[in-house]
This record gives sequence, C-alpha cells and structure tokens, in this order.
Amino acid sequence: MNTSTIESPPHSKNAPLASALSLVVPGAGQLYLARRNRGLAILATTPFLIYLINWALTNFRMESIAVWLWLGLALFWAWNVFDAYRLARGQTTVDWLGLILPLIVIYLISWQVTDINLDRLVKRFSDVQVVFKALMYPDLFTQVDGSWQPSENFGDIIGKIVDKPAPGWLVQLGLAQKDAKVPTPVLGKMAETIAIGLMATLLAILLAVPLSFFAAHNIMSRVPGGTVIYYAMRAFLNVVRSIDTMIWGIIIVVWIGLGSFAGTMALTIHSIAALGKLYSEEVEHIDAGPIEAITATGANLFQVIRYAVIPQIIPPFLAYTLLRWDINMRMATVVGFVSGGGIGYFVVETIYKGAFEQYAAAFWAVVIIIILVDYVSAKWRERILAGEVKVTAAAPKPFYTSLRALTWLVIGLAVFVLCWQLSEIDPRKLFEPAPTFVKNIRDFVTIDLSPDVFDTVLKQTLITIFQALLATTIGGLLAVPFSFLAARNLMGANPLAQVIYYFVRGALSVLRSIEVLLYVLIFVIWVGIGPFAGMLALAITSFALIGKLFSEAIENIDPGPSEAIAATGATGLQVIMYAILPQIIPPFVSYLIYQWDINIRMATIVGLAGGGGVGFLLKTYFDLLQYHKAGTVVAMIVVVVTVMDFASAKIRERMV
Amino acid sequence: MLKVENLNKVYPNGTVALKDVSFEVADGEFLAVIGLSGSGKSTLMRCINRLIEPTSGRIFWDGTELTALSADEMRKVRRQIGMVFQQFNLVKRSSVMINVLSGRLGYVSPYQSLFNYFSSADHARALKNLERLGLREKAYVRADSLSGGQQQRVGIARALMQEPKLILADEPVASLDPVLSHSILKYLEQMNKEDGITVLCSLHFLDLVHRYSTRAIGLKEGKLVFQGLPQEIDDAQFKTIFGQEAERVTIL
Repeated sequence: MNTSTIESPPHSKNAPLASALSLVVPGAGQLYLARRNRGLAILATTPFLIYLINWALTNFRMESIAVWLWLGLALFWAWNVFDAYRLARGQTTVDWLGLILPLIVIYLISWQVTDINLDRLVKRFSDVQVVFKALMYPDLFTQVDGSWQPSENFGDIIGKIVDKPAPGWLVQLGLAQKDAKVPTPVLGKMAETIAIGLMATLLAILLAVPLSFFAAHNIMSRVPGGTVIYYAMRAFLNVVRSIDTMIWGIIIVVWIGLGSFAGTMALTIHSIAALGKLYSEEVEHIDAGPIEAITATGANLFQVIRYAVIPQIIPPFLAYTLLRWDINMRMATVVGFVSGGGIGYFVVETIYKGAFEQYAAAFWAVVIIIILVDYVSAKWRERILAGEVKVTAAAPKPFYTSLRALTWLVIGLAVFVLCWQLSEIDPRKLFEPAPTFVKNIRDFVTIDLSPDVFDTVLKQTLITIFQALLATTIGGLLAVPFSFLAARNLMGANPLAQVIYYFVRGALSVLRSIEVLLYVLIFVIWVGIGPFAGMLALAITSFALIGKLFSEAIENIDPGPSEAIAATGATGLQVIMYAILPQIIPPFVSYLIYQWDINIRMATIVGLAGGGGVGFLLKTYFDLLQYHKAGTVVAMIVVVVTVMDFASAKIRERMV
Repeated sequence: MLKVENLNKVYPNGTVALKDVSFEVADGEFLAVIGLSGSGKSTLMRCINRLIEPTSGRIFWDGTELTALSADEMRKVRRQIGMVFQQFNLVKRSSVMINVLSGRLGYVSPYQSLFNYFSSADHARALKNLERLGLREKAYVRADSLSGGQQQRVGIARALMQEPKLILADEPVASLDPVLSHSILKYLEQMNKEDGITVLCSLHFLDLVHRYSTRAIGLKEGKLVFQGLPQEIDDAQFKTIFGQEAERVTIL
C-alpha cells in the first residue's frame, strides 16, 4: 500500500460533505466517494477497535495505558476524516497511517493482555539457569567403579537389558532352561514414542485413503447425491483438523483411559483429517487425459482406476504421508502430556520432580530423533517427487524375486509387530469405555453458552489470539536477520561465512525439532505460569520455522532480474531495492500469515503446560469434569481456527 | 465402414458442439477432419467411440449401431478402435512398457491386470510395436523422461496394441514441432497403408491434409461444411471452413 490518487474528477464530489460524513461515521465519506473497499475497511475497523479497547479496559488492569489507546483511536478517526477530504479533492493520501494506527492500538493491548513483563526475563534468570546447566549435563551415563556406564535414566529413555524369565519359544527351541533368567532387551520411552508416531501414521492412512475419495469434488460430482456427501465430508475433515492433536488427546482419555493407546488414537484422529484433506486435493488434481486414454482402449472401470488413477496418486500420497509421519513423530513426543505414554509423560514427571538432568537427557534424545526423522522424511519425499528415471535395457524383475526386497519386507513386518505392542494398541478398549462415558459425551456436546462461561471462554480465546500475534511478530522480526545468515547463496565462498551458515542452520534445526510444549515447560520455570510463558515458547518455535522458510525464500531468488537491473547501470542498493526485495517480500509476508495461522492452533494448547490462554481453561474444565464447559471451549476453538485458516488461505492466495 | 447419421451434441451448459453431422468413411481411408479450434472435431471423435455420449443421431460401424450398444458392449467394441491424443495422455510416472501394455486391457482378464500381469505374448507384442516405432530401447524408462515426439509414438504403440481396425487421432501433432509432425503422421500413414487400418485424423495445417489424407471433411461451428478430396479445398472452400479472416500458412 503506497500513496494513491483518485481518478474521478474532483468537481463531482463535495470535499466538506465527504469529510463530514467520515467524521460522523468513519468510512462513510470514503463510501460516498465510491471507494468501496477502503470505506468498508474503515467502517469495520472503528467499532472493532472501540470494542477491543473497551474489552481490554474492563477485563484487565491497564489504566496506565488507557489514554494511549483512546488517543490511538482518536488519531485513526482524525486520519479517516482527513483521508476523505484529500480523496474528494483528488489529492494524494497517506495510506500507511491508516494501517499503522490500529496496529499500534492492537499491539499495545496484546502486550498488556499477554502479561508481558520483560523484568522477569532478567530477574528470574537465576531460576532457569539450573535448567540450562542441566542441558549441558544430561543424565545419560554414570561412573561405576571408575568406568562409565549407561545410567538408569538412559535405560528409561533409550532402553536397557534386564534379566527376565525365558519366553516360551526360547525354551521350546532348547536354547534356555524353563524358568531360567535370560537377558532381555526392554525398550525405553523413546522407542515407545517412535512406535506411537509410526502406528498412528499407518492407521491414519487406512482410513484417510477411502475418506479422501468422498471429499474429492471431481469424483463425487459424478455420483448421484455426491455433492452433498462431498460438502459433509469436507466440513467433517475441517472440524476434526481444527482441533489440535493434544485436545484430541484429552478427549480420548475420557474414552479409553491414560496410556500409549490414547496417544496413538489422538494422533490417528488428527492425521486422518489432515491426510484426508491433502489426499482429496491430490485426487482433485489428477490429469484426466490418461483416464480418457485408458477408457478408449476398452478397459473397464477397475482397470481405469488401476492404470490411470492409482499411478498418478501414489507418489503424492506417499509424499504427504511421509510429511505427516514427520509431524506425528513430533507430536508423539508431547502427546503424553495429556494422554500418558511416550516420552511426553516422562518429561512432565521429570519437570515436576525437578530432575532437570533427566529432563535434559530426554530433551536431547528428542532433538536427535526428530532431526533424524526430519532428514529421512525430507530425503525420501524428494526422491519420490523427483522420481528416479532408470534407464534399463531389460525388464525389471518382480519384487518378490529380489532378496533385498524380501529382507526389507521381513524387517518391516517385525517393526510393525514391535510397534503394535509398544503403542499398546487394543481395539477392544474402544468398545469398553468407562460407564460414565455416554453421560460425559452428552455433557460435552450440549455446550454451555451461559453468559458467564461464554465471557470467560471468549476472554481466554482473545488472549490466545493476541499471544499468537505477538509470537509471530517477535519470531518474524528475529528471523529476518538470521534468515540471511542461513541462506546458502549469500553465505558463499568465504570460510567464515560458511561456518556461520552451518551454525545458524544447525541452530534453527535444533530449535525446530522441539515441540512448543517442551519450551513452555522451560519458560514456566523462568517467567512463571501464564500467557507470557506461552507467548515466549511460541515465539521461539516461530523464529525457528520462519527462519528456515525465509532463508529458503532467499535461496530461491531468481538471479535474472538482479542481472537485468545491474545491466542498466544501477548501484548495488538499487539492485537490492528493485530486483531482490520485490522477490522476497511477498513470500515473507505469506509465510508470516501462515505462521500466524499455525500459532493460533498452537496457542490453543500451550495452556496445557501452563502457558495460559484457552488451553489452560480447557484443561481446568476437563480436570473438574465440567464437560459441557469444555465443550464450549472446543467449539470456540473450532470456530476461531476455521475462520483463521480460511482467512489466511484466502489472503495468501491473493498474494501469490 | 463407418457411417455417421445426423449426429448432434449439446453439452449440459448449452454449448452446441455438433449440428446434424452426417458422413461415411470407407475401410482403409485416411480421413482428415479439419476446422478451427472449437469447431467440434474433438467432440466428433469422442462421439464415435462414445467417450462422449451424443445427444442424438446414429453411428454405424461394420453394420453395428454403436449408438445403440450397452456400456459393456461398447467397451468390447472400443478394443478395436484405437485412439491417439493431442496431449498424448500417457500415465507419466509409469514406464513406457506399462503404458503400451495398457492398450491390451480390454482383452485381458481384469483380475490378472490388477496385479500388472500381462502374458508373455502381450509383452512380445508390446516390444514388437515399440520396435516398429523406433523406441525399443526406451521400453523400461519412465514415460515422462521421453520427448514430446517420443511420447506420441508411445501413444501410437498403445493404440496398436489393441490391434485396431480404426484409429481416431485427435490433433496428434498439434502439440509437436512441425518437423516431428511429419514423423508422427508418417507412422500413421504406414499403419493405414501396411495394416489397412482406417484412420480419422484431425489436423490444423492444410499442407499436412494434402500430403497424408485420402479424403477430408471440414467442420465449422459444429456443422459439416466440406466433404471431398483434399485437392478440392480451394481458396473459396478454405474461407468457408476457416472464416474470412484466415490466411493459409505453410509448414516446411
């Protein structure tokens, strides 16, 4: 938005009238001047700001800044009158003021509402020092009789070997005596976490594939009544997806109790919805040409699906599944916070006990595993989407004749069985819920909309949105300088630059591998329970993700325009202004909006670990067994997340 | 012999694609179908093998009324009608071999084909057809690693797998360089002359019509406006088919 002029002849419009209209009803003057979008934007912004200021002043102690808030609004109002006057006379206007004034008001409110207290960051640093120190000395090995050995904590996290009675099959094979103790490996919490992530992904595929066809417009429009099913399925997937895995975790525990199985189910449910949406979009984008060609050969419907549809959708389906596996592994490290099982449960216990060295060991185990998973998943996706082109003279052999493929098959089956056991999957539990289950569900669905509850929920929801806004802003501001340091094309030849590049890249990867809830735990120790801790945690994760996305955007700059601008005799600064900035600003803004969208989802759960906002409310209601109020919170989350998701997608669509 | 009688096609959105089109094609002919984009050429081709259902009119082929067949019966007839497309319509991520073999789908057992199983006779036939189109050594590469001209040859090989009596070629060279156009059309001509396959081929360039076809029909806004020998298309005829604005262009 730069300065703009109005094209219509000035004599047709009355400038005093326009400004008078805007003075009485902000935006009315602009509407009168036929500037529809501008007028509507001002018309909507003014009451919104009034409501927000009023809400903030009645709900929070912020008398000290009340003057500034009202002043901001007054200045915006004055700007709008001035704007109408200038527009009517066909003069240039100052657009950016109209944008910046409401933003100042909003940021002032967010600052107060999120309970930001920079003092505490400094004063209470001593409290958190012990955690940082522990991170340097994770409890993994102990010295026994002068030699280093894996500690008990190592066994809990990674695994250990315990003497156990010999299993039946070993006795039968004659390899062990009956009742004799044999060393048996017992896997730790990390293995359990990996199993949860893996099983959830596998189970989700099974359900998401069929569902995705019902959510694909090109398929359902051919079936009678299909359009209705299409819209219902789309809505269903969107609602399920808008409720975070962690919240599903809380809900599922009511159904099947604490444990790894509950975590697996929570991940599965959310994955089904997320994958179902991505799969269905892929089905909608298939090329109709091959379908036509195969039909023309006289093939029947099943053959058409087998030869024209499936070959087209398998690679993108696989790629999305791998991406989801990556996400599921991350979520599996924290789902134990609410549902028990996995490393998440272990982490919470260590923090409550104050056993920070044990926490540190789990922390680093998570970092290593997640970075590994991230790498494998990315490489694999790359390979699938690029699709290796093999030039061979002979026909490829069927897979079952290759020893290598058979070995992988056996390993895969063994891993599957192991994971099934570790994640404690027990479908029978689904059909044997607690006796109060039906009543709880009924409570949950009949949401409580009494003014008291609604106001409380709304208040916490607004805090959540402000938290997300501030976190995105802070994370984004921090990310800009670092993203340049993490861009390969800028950090080229010089060895020092190379070192900086690898260091920044590595640091971003480590920060990114930790789920936001694990940060919340640290910040709660540092600045205390509340929205400030949640906001800081969100800011760190935002910084890590935006930093990566920004640096990739910089790496993707097309050198052509720079060359062209330089060829006109422009200076270095002019090249940056005219060739580089225009290329990176749109993706930067798009990523920021995307991150805000993610942060709103995430902000709904930071409260589960003491990070304030709507998640804290949700956990309280669940702990107090007030399911109808919990239902209100979940309904509110669905609405807010869906609206944000839609708005962010629309805005980004228009920007690209 | 292919006989089209009073064929009409109106799309659900109201577009009239074909208006009362009637013509005949004798066995062994190479019939060029000419006309501007949107004149109904593609619709006509697809009505013949009923990938698109005509609104009214009748189509006879070798005495069978195609327009009266059930879906399953039509499927069996399609086996003998090969089709070649402007965009090649290969499954890009599958190998050339699988793309060619898929031309046999109408003949093989549906259950076996679900597992990519084709008989060794079909494999031999596929290799022979690829050999004929000069693509034997590309049999096991992915289809999208080939150039446009090569992909279209795979498309022709797929059609040949059907052992067709008729080939419908819908703008087979419109997405290719002029040099390649001749190479592709020569293969179609070869199929026409050596194997006696009837060819219906829609074309843009009059040069190509003169060079390859034995007879031509012209469509304009869904109506048949010309029927005769390629040599009979004089300037007046040309303007009727392509409009007053049109100018002749030559390629190579």
